[in-house]
Amino acid sequence: MKTLIVTASAVAALLMAQASLPADEVSAEAHLAARHVAVMTCATCHGPQGRSIMPKFPALAGQHPKYLAAQLQAFKAQTRGDADALGYMWGMAAPLSDEMIAALAGYYGAQTPGAGSSGDAGAIARGADIYANGVAAEGIPPCIACHGPGAVGTDEYPRLAGQHAQYLLKQLRSFQNNMRNVAVMHGVAQDLKISEMESVAAYLQSLR
Amino acid sequence: MMITRMLAGNRGYCAAMLAAALVAPAAQAVPSFARQTGMACEACHTVFPELTHFGRMFKANAYTIDNLKPVRGVSATKEEMLALSGLPPISLMVQVSQTSISKPIPDGVGNFSQSSSVAFPQQISLFYAGKIAPRLGAFIQLTYGNDEGTIGIDNVDLRWADNKLLPGDKSLIYGITANNNPTVQDLWNSTPAFGYPYASSNANVSPLAGTQIDGALGQDIAGVSLYAMWNESLYGEIGTYRSAKQGAANALTGAAGPLDGTTSNVIVGGAPYYRLAYEYLWGRNSLSVGLYGATFKLVPGGSTDAPGTLSGPANEFRDTAEDFQYQFIGDQHLFTLAGTRISEKMTLNASFGDGLGADNLRNDLTTTRITGTYYYQRKYGAVLGMFSTTGSLDTQLYAAISADNPLVGVVTSASNKPDTKGWIAELNYMPWLNTRISLQDTQYTKFNGGGSNYDGFGRNAGDNNSLYLLVWFNY
Repeated sequence: MKTLIVTASAVAALLMAQASLPADEVSAEAHLAARHVAVMTCATCHGPQGRSIMPKFPALAGQHPKYLAAQLQAFKAQTRGDADALGYMWGMAAPLSDEMIAALAGYYGAQTPGAGSSGDAGAIARGADIYANGVAAEGIPPCIACHGPGAVGTDEYPRLAGQHAQYLLKQLRSFQNNMRNVAVMHGVAQDLKISEMESVAAYLQSLR
Repeated sequence: MMITRMLAGNRGYCAAMLAAALVAPAAQAVPSFARQTGMACEACHTVFPELTHFGRMFKANAYTIDNLKPVRGVSATKEEMLALSGLPPISLMVQVSQTSISKPIPDGVGNFSQSSSVAFPQQISLFYAGKIAPRLGAFIQLTYGNDEGTIGIDNVDLRWADNKLLPGDKSLIYGITANNNPTVQDLWNSTPAFGYPYASSNANVSPLAGTQIDGALGQDIAGVSLYAMWNESLYGEIGTYRSAKQGAANALTGAAGPLDGTTSNVIVGGAPYYRLAYEYLWGRNSLSVGLYGATFKLVPGGSTDAPGTLSGPANEFRDTAEDFQYQFIGDQHLFTLAGTRISEKMTLNASFGDGLGADNLRNDLTTTRITGTYYYQRKYGAVLGMFSTTGSLDTQLYAAISADNPLVGVVTSASNKPDTKGWIAELNYMPWLNTRISLQDTQYTKFNGGGSNYDGFGRNAGDNNSLYLLVWFNY
């Protein structure tokens, strides 16, 4: 059953990602305008070149453009409902055109991700184990199955390597309580214990 | 709150000395910004009116980030001629309060006032706060205050700002502000206009002295300054202020200007203002350190009953200040420590001499404030702050006997010193992000130069302690 949900959600995510404008159809003017917006507005929270300083705000550098575009479209459509999406991004994404969304996603996708930051070694080791193997006894699948080795992600599944643990933890909890309504991640996170979430988040934050 | 309305007096320089140290301007937080940006209060505020880093950048960008669909007008060459917000950026602020003072205030004929007073409202303000046009924004406040009984201009900050993309994807924001209260344009909450206390009772006894830049001239002057911020970290600003008194008319023509000898504390020429600050972000933390200051040359002038002159020697007030602000912004816990020290060097060329208002040609006055604020989930908060003002002894400037009320003290200083020190403790409950209920306890260890019998009429500093209950909402 869980496999079915995962597959259906993956298809939905793919469709959503494909709904946005392909990056190669974005004009040079839009790329320049997006760079301006990224530096003058987005960087205030998401940091220089998307290398976020404040852990409340996710790092965007190196994130897959299709995933970023899908998220921006979801903010704009007000379908992504976690607390910070609602409080910050619904407003910020509201005036963005499809072309600007594609150009912003392209800008951040092209940036070099920041270095990860270390944390508690025990938590990181436990997180690495959950990431690679899941928790079989609790029916939790391995994260690596979608997010890939090194958590570098794909077009459909976000890069998680080097992401702020605080942000990841909040997202996992949002998936768990369905504030961020993504069936595949709700399926994964619904039985995760807080300590397990913390471990996985610590591991992912430690990756470069 | 229009502090300067308290300052009317026939001794211009002395009136200007009357302090605003504790009667801070009611700071503002305006939901019209949230409506315009589509972002919740927490994007720009830790808890209103204290700004986050994003809030500071929103202000530096002239309040123009706008996520509403505008009514647009463009020229044939695609130049943007109009971008009217779909919603007018109007907000309303209401403050209702009760103040209890430890010992009632004598009225000069042997009676005492009630020890507590209800202000319903203490203040109602109407704001235009938001974008006017591309790159142009405004924060304009009209206030009804119960002590005035009228509506008047309160803080105003009109801004134009633009930005440049620098090599290496660094940012440069630059702009112009026209405003009527030095530091009202500032981005940090460690400077006077938007510093703590954000609201305080206007029923309290105000200390005798405060520095000029600490709100003494607010709404009676107008200035223009240029500012620039590099990479959202290094900020510089330079400007000048001139007198622009509200309600003042020329005695001869009856027109609104120019000012004449019936007005007091008029700036000679322009008063230079400067600001330099640096902000550093790491993790959930931000730290800013800065300098600011202004030099005001004021001619005492006079009043309608006793006109003076606006020429001749002027009293110079050279204010230099340092400030810092540390913020920790977590999801559950928020903590801010902010402080400033303002040093004022007075050279009282106009008022120095027997019967003129000051014993000393040169006097010093220093005000220090440090405040720690903690909030849990932006709902429950506690504040602890200390304040201190110390200065030179001057028997005329800090008189022992009030010319208007010689039989009572209260606002006088038997020791002829301005020294006032104490603590503020405050508890806050915010049932919603735009509504605050607070209980503020102000305790003086020294008032107008003394702890006990500071006025020579038996009043102690602690008699001015107050308990202030405030309900404050913004819509």
